[in-house]
Amino acid sequence: MGALAHYLEAEGLPTTQISLIREHTETIKPPRALWVPFELGRPLGLPNDPAFQRRVLLAALELFDLPEGPVLVDFPDDVPEQAVDARDSLDNLACPVSFAPLSQEKTETEKLLSAFRSEVTEFRSWYDLGLNKRGYSAIAYFSPDAAGRLLIDFVQEEPLQFPEDISSPAAALRFAAQDLKAFYYESVLSRPDFALPNTSEFNRWFWQKTAAGRVLKAVREICLHSNDEQLRMTGGMLLVPLDQA
Amino acid sequence: MDMQEPMRSHLATLPCPTFTSSPWVSGPPLSQRRVAIISTAGIHRRSDRPFEAMAGDYRVIPKECTAGDLVMTHLSTNFDRTGFQQDWNVVFPLDRLRELASNSSIGSVADYHYSFMGAAEPAEMEEAARKLAGLLIGDHVDAVLLVPV
Repeated sequence: MGALAHYLEAEGLPTTQISLIREHTETIKPPRALWVPFELGRPLGLPNDPAFQRRVLLAALELFDLPEGPVLVDFPDDVPEQAVDARDSLDNLACPVSFAPLSQEKTETEKLLSAFRSEVTEFRSWYDLGLNKRGYSAIAYFSPDAAGRLLIDFVQEEPLQFPEDISSPAAALRFAAQDLKAFYYESVLSRPDFALPNTSEFNRWFWQKTAAGRVLKAVREICLHSNDEQLRMTGGMLLVPLDQA
Repeated sequence: MDMQEPMRSHLATLPCPTFTSSPWVSGPPLSQRRVAIISTAGIHRRSDRPFEAMAGDYRVIPKECTAGDLVMTHLSTNFDRTGFQQDWNVVFPLDRLRELASNSSIGSVADYHYSFMGAAEPAEMEEAARKLAGLLIGDHVDAVLLVPV
């Protein structure tokens, strides 16, 4: 980010930036930077809070009125802590693997995939309601059913089917994983039986409690042992967050 | 908000370029400036190509875009996406920028905004950034807001 500022300013364009990692900005020394104490992924701080976002935005833009630099200014306020602990209500939403129709012939993988299918089916109606209400979704390429199918096919070593504009199986798996996670989050947002979880609660729930999280970890394991270099890289870095691997 | 391990250690090991020069370009008061956003969140129009490689390529986001037009295909799994899912302005504050133009806090909003995927090496972005400079100047931009993710 700071490097872009250097390149653009050298070409005659005044720049200002938001900084999420103060140490990097101190090293790179871009012309104008506002450090904010927010979590990665939320440079403007709070979703659905226009007044807070406007304060952050103006604080970054007002650096243009300073006479000289480089300048690195700290935004004074962190986002308020979320008061509601959503842990219990979230945990009740997942489909535990043991809820799958049990059959002595089923392998552990089959049980997991069965629970995963049930979970996707249950969450689908909440996702659809949210989609109708909002009018759009963050899902980019794979409908919930298509994402589920691709991941299950991969686990079962079936041929993968994905859109032509996606260049490789590795990219398809990555996009399906992202879209599946977006689907779960948007489903949870629509339900009346829980409070909005903070990011760490959602991540804990998704990766540790849902069948979807376990399926993605299974996909990761297969990728790590693949002969395909792209799949190995995807499995190693791009499917499961560092703190959940 | 304190950053948690292992993310803190991971970020600490990322290569961080240094520069010997300190370029500084002056301009008119903020209330007269034309502002463009450059995001490194790997966002793009739904119909545009996804970000698939760390090649320093960029995507164009016209000012008419609305929340439902943009998707995120950033490679990293190590930052929050749920904020963006709730409200695109927490990553790409185009609605807020329009409001600042409406109340004359800034001069105007650029016709075109741009997005990179921030996982790319800074040196990979250099060529694209220099091309962007020409595009931004052609759009009469004199204030670039860089927003990380």
